[in-house]
Order: sequence, then C-alpha cells, then structure tokens
Amino acid sequence: MAFFDTLAANLPKLLDGTVTTLALTGLGAAIAAAASPGLALLRANGPLPAQLALRAYISFVRGTPLLAQLFLVFYGSGQFRAELTALGLWGFFRDPFNCAVLVFAVNSCAYQTEILRGGIQAVAVGEIEAARAVGMSRPTILRRVVFPHAYRIAWPALGNEIILLMKASALASIVTVFDLMGRTRQIFSRSFEFSVYFQAAVLYLIITACFVYLWRFAERRMSRHMAAPGRA
Amino acid sequence: MMELFSYGPLGWGDEILAGLWVTMRLALTTLPVGLLLGFAVAALSLSQIPALRAIGVGYTTLMRGLPEILTLFIVYNGLGLGLNRMMAWIAPDAGPIDFPPFAAGVIALALVFGAFAAEVLRGAFQAVPEGQILAGRAIGMSARKIFWRIKLPLLWRYALPGMGNLWLNLLKDTALVSVIALDDLMRATKVAVGVTKQPFTFYLVACLIYWLMCLLSELVLAQLERRANRGLRRA
Amino acid sequence: MQPQTPQDLVLHAQDIRKSFGTHEVLKGISLQARNHDVISILGASGSGKSTFLRCLNFLEIPSSGSVAVHGETIAFRNGRIGDQRQIERMRQHLGMVFQQFNLWTHRTVLENVMEGPVQVKHKPKAEARDQAEALLARVGLAERMHHYPSQLSGGQQQRVAIARALAMEPDAILFDEPTSALDPELVGEVLKVMQDLAAEGRTMIVVTHEMAFAREVSTEVVFLHQGLVAEQGPPEKLFNNPESEVFARFISKIR
Repeated sequence: MAFFDTLAANLPKLLDGTVTTLALTGLGAAIAAAASPGLALLRANGPLPAQLALRAYISFVRGTPLLAQLFLVFYGSGQFRAELTALGLWGFFRDPFNCAVLVFAVNSCAYQTEILRGGIQAVAVGEIEAARAVGMSRPTILRRVVFPHAYRIAWPALGNEIILLMKASALASIVTVFDLMGRTRQIFSRSFEFSVYFQAAVLYLIITACFVYLWRFAERRMSRHMAAPGRA
Repeated sequence: MMELFSYGPLGWGDEILAGLWVTMRLALTTLPVGLLLGFAVAALSLSQIPALRAIGVGYTTLMRGLPEILTLFIVYNGLGLGLNRMMAWIAPDAGPIDFPPFAAGVIALALVFGAFAAEVLRGAFQAVPEGQILAGRAIGMSARKIFWRIKLPLLWRYALPGMGNLWLNLLKDTALVSVIALDDLMRATKVAVGVTKQPFTFYLVACLIYWLMCLLSELVLAQLERRANRGLRRA
Repeated sequence: MQPQTPQDLVLHAQDIRKSFGTHEVLKGISLQARNHDVISILGASGSGKSTFLRCLNFLEIPSSGSVAVHGETIAFRNGRIGDQRQIERMRQHLGMVFQQFNLWTHRTVLENVMEGPVQVKHKPKAEARDQAEALLARVGLAERMHHYPSQLSGGQQQRVAIARALAMEPDAILFDEPTSALDPELVGEVLKVMQDLAAEGRTMIVVTHEMAFAREVSTEVVFLHQGLVAEQGPPEKLFNNPESEVFARFISKIR
C-alpha cells in the first residue's frame, strides 16, 4: 500500500497546510461576513450613488478571475512600495498570506453581499409591517425581524459561497502561501510522487464534507419554525 | 502609458492580444467538450440503473468538491507522467516529453465544466413540467419523440441561466492555465510585468479585459435568454 | 351620556387624503374615536377603507390631512414622516391586527406576544411572559404557546395576533379585515374574541365585511364610497334607515 506509506510520510506537512487553508478561508469568510450585512442593506435600499458603487464593485469581482485579483494586490502593491512604506503598510502587503486573506475577503464580500441582499428582499413585507405597527424602531426591526429571516433564507447559498471560497483558497499557493495546495505542490516538486495529489484531494473533500455537515446542522436548527407537523 | 500598450516591439499590446486570443480559444474549445461531458454525466445521474446513477452523482460530487487548480495539476502532471511512461515503453531512446499544456488545460477545464453542467442539466430536465410530457404522450408521441420535440427544446430554457454562469466561470478559470506554462492572457501579462516592472498597471489592465469579456458575455446571454423565453409572458 | 373630556378623544383624523400617483384613493375623510368606541368601517373593495386605516398609524403616509392621538398631532409633510420617534411612540398606543395575521414566523406564539413589550417597551422578560401567557389564555391558546405560527390554523393565528396587539396595552386597536383571509368555519372564533374585547370597553376601529358584527357590536358605522364618507352614524339608524342610496344598495347586496 504505497498510497498509505506516502500518506503517513506526507501527512504532517499536509495537515499543516490544511490548517493554513482553513485559516485563509475562515479569515476571508469572516471578514466578508462582518462587512456584508451593512453593504447588503445599502445595496437593497441605500441611496442611488451607493447602490451604483456597490453594483460596480460586485460586477468587477464577479467578472474577473480571482487569480488576477490576487496578482493585482500581491504583485501590484509592489508598484506602490514607496507610498505603502510611508503609510506603514508595506509590511502587510509583502506577506502573501495577508494579501490572500485581503483578496479573499474582498472577493467573498461581493458574493455574500449579493446573496444577503436577495435574502433581505425576500423577507415577507407583512412581518415588517407588523413590527412597525407595534412601534419598533428601524434598527430593532432589522435585528429582530429582517436579518433573522434574511440569514435563514440566504443560509444555503452562503454555505455554497464559503465552499467555493475554500476551494479557491488553493490559489494562494501560487503566490507562495503554504496552504494545503502549496504543501502538495512542494511535496510533488521534490519527490514526483503523484499520489500526493490524491491525498490532497481526499483532504479537500473531507473539509468540504465536514463543512456541509455542520452547515446543514445549523440550518436545521434555524428552520425549526418551517416544519409544520400536525397542523392544528 | 499609451506606449506601454501599443502594438509592436515597444509596447505590449500585441503580446497581450495574443494572450487574449489563447484565452478565448481555450474557453471556446472547452465549451463543447465540457457540454458533451455534462450531457453524458447528466444522463448517468438520471439513469434508472442505480450503479450508473452512482457514477454520475459520484463524479459531480467529486469534481465539485475539488479546487480547480488541483484538478488542473492532476491532469497536467498525471497525463504528463503517464505519457512519458508510455513513451519509455514504446520508444525507450526518446527523451522525456511534455504533455501539451493547451490540451491539458482543455481537459481539466472540461472535467470541471462537465461536472457543474451536469448538475444544471439534471435540474433543467427535472424542471420540465410533467404536463408538457403528458400532453406529448396524449397525442401518441413516442418516448424518443417526446425527448427530441419537447424535453430538449424546453431544457434549453431552464438550463440557460445556469449555463450562462458556468460560461462566465469557465472564462475566469482559464486564467489558471497560466500556471502550467500556457501563454494565455494572464501569462502574457506576467511576462510584461517582468520586463516593465509595472505590476499594478498591467494586472489592472488584465482584470479590465476579463471584466469586459464577462460583461459582453452577459449581454449575449441576456439576449439568448430573451429568445429562449419567447412565448412566455412575464408575470 | 357621560360628559366628554379631551382625554376621551383617543384618535382624531381630519380630512385625510391619499393619492397613489395620479389616482386619488382617499378624498378627505375625518374620523373621531373616543374611549370605548367600536367603529366599523364598511365599503366595497376599492373604496379606500384599508388605506384609510393604514393612514391612521402611518403604515401609509397620508398625502394631506392630520392625525392626532390623545391630542398630539403627528408631524408629516410631503409624504414624509417628520419625526420617526413620534410615530413609533404613537404606534405603541394604537394596536393593529392585519388581514394576513403577519405573525413573525420565526418566533413561537409566546415569543410573538412578548416581542413588543420586551423590545419596544423594555419590559422585564419575566413580566412580559406572565402577561403573554395570560393573554394567550384569554384568546384560548394557552396550550399552543410553544408552537410556531406555521403550526396553527388561520383562526388561531389571528387570535395570537390579537393577543400580540393587546400585549402593548394600546388605547385603541385597528383591525384591517381581520376575518377576510379565514376559512368560513374559522371566522366565528375570531369574531367571538373581538366581541369580548368590545364588551369590556376596548376602543376599536374595524375595517370589515362582517355585517352582523358591524350591526350588533359596533357603536358607530362609517360607510366609505369612492374615497369619501357616504354614510355615518349609529348602526341601528344606518341599517334601518339608510340615507344614501349607495349604502342601501350595499346592504341589500350583502344580505
């Protein structure tokens, strides 16, 4: 069983890469998730200039390859080295991990904003009116009615987006981040053991499977009110 | 600035255009291959035979769970290794050869496209209203006639939005092949950056070119969708 | 007749007009609701009665006119609310029950009733809970309080919605066709609750198609026709001697 022998030898490095992959994805997704509710509200019913700006941002992110976005930030920042140094930001941009997290966050934020906007616009108007009718303020309505529903509606799509981001995070290896893909390519370039690619594939599938399981578990908890057993 | 992107020996306009041409050829070659694969896999996952269905579902699950770049490396390096092993067996004297990157790119991108396309097609098939099929049966159409005359034309309508998204993803995924030494738009940009030392300018231009391609694609797709939906009244 | 004091005037709407685009739905409607009044607003569909009701608590902003709650006039101008806080305060005094119930589907029956007191009036949770349980018992749904709205029938949902409105301890409750979305066999249970509320002296303004309710329960009936008040007065007078021909035709068709 050559596969398992090499797997045992490769596993420490691959697991180390897996941790980096999870960190890249988790940080990128979390930053995007923190920014998306406000942006989604603006995109849904903000002032026209804000809506146009957001549409342009979302269209650009969706219309360009993530790899190109990554190169634009990681290599592109070099063109402004003097300015960035003056601002004290050069140290940040020199690190490919930071650049990758930044790009993933900006990229995922565009998708998450668009998904959440759909959720917000799908909230039943009557429930919002009922909240207004008891005298709730706008922030309270958002917190108690709009966002709980919007996230429940958007939840499956948000999960898909995070899986896509996790897969896309493999691109960080191209700017020399040693994530799971980076470790895999490193091992292959030294040993020409082809089986390492399959080992990486298995690990990626395990990450996806675990994530899907957790996400669906959360979804079931959120959707308790949807089940209507024994209509009275 | 204009000089940088001009045509000829001083500017990088011709190199970038050549790269763009490779990108477009790659996407347009992958599309039919991937579609064919998509149809085949969709047929498997809709099959009455459990084993075939398992193959279809397994394939889509697997391919959709893997990073595209990993698929690309597996195809490129795997086929390369396989080819060399075969060559060593057939003609032991010949030196090692590289698997052609364009072919590797097409195969890898088509494998990915096919998996996603299969899901879109499967959903579209299942979206064809039962009544349309029953109506065909009621006038005595054979199963084959129903497929060709009713299901397939309607399929187009249901599959088009999903397919449009997949085409945009394919366009963007072509950028990945730059890492296996194929001279596409991304790689041409990289070469220009290496010489001019203006990475931001050049990558921004590359981004804008991709963006433009996607926007144009969206226009065409909207037009196609309008055609596909003729006879449908918007509620 | 008891002497009327200014405090008795809960709601005073004057010359309410409302246009949607060029279409004028309300052409100047006035209404006064005093304590313990039960006012039924009748009218054919399209007569503007629901729009008028929604103008009273500013779910719809009138194009012109004035609304005063307990003598405090609500500020608005050019279709915009003047002071959002004032509106929110006013709405706490005017409960509303909707045609489609509009319960918050992601919260249980009990949570629906507690939501307003806790989130808007900042009542302590334990207190709000006791109150909600008592109210649910009153509308006959104590044993359903941990259900979600989707697990209840329409009539039960509407009774929860009434309990939700009562939990705010409003000075008046607006009912927007509360039985129109219900299956016929479920109408009775909701009307029964409304009747009980009227009997205990609640101030109610009810847009309805239920002639029996308007006739037997309400203290005043307002009949709207094409955006104007066509007939107004105590039910016994209106139903026995309608002055206007449109109202005479309206009640003869219903019967």
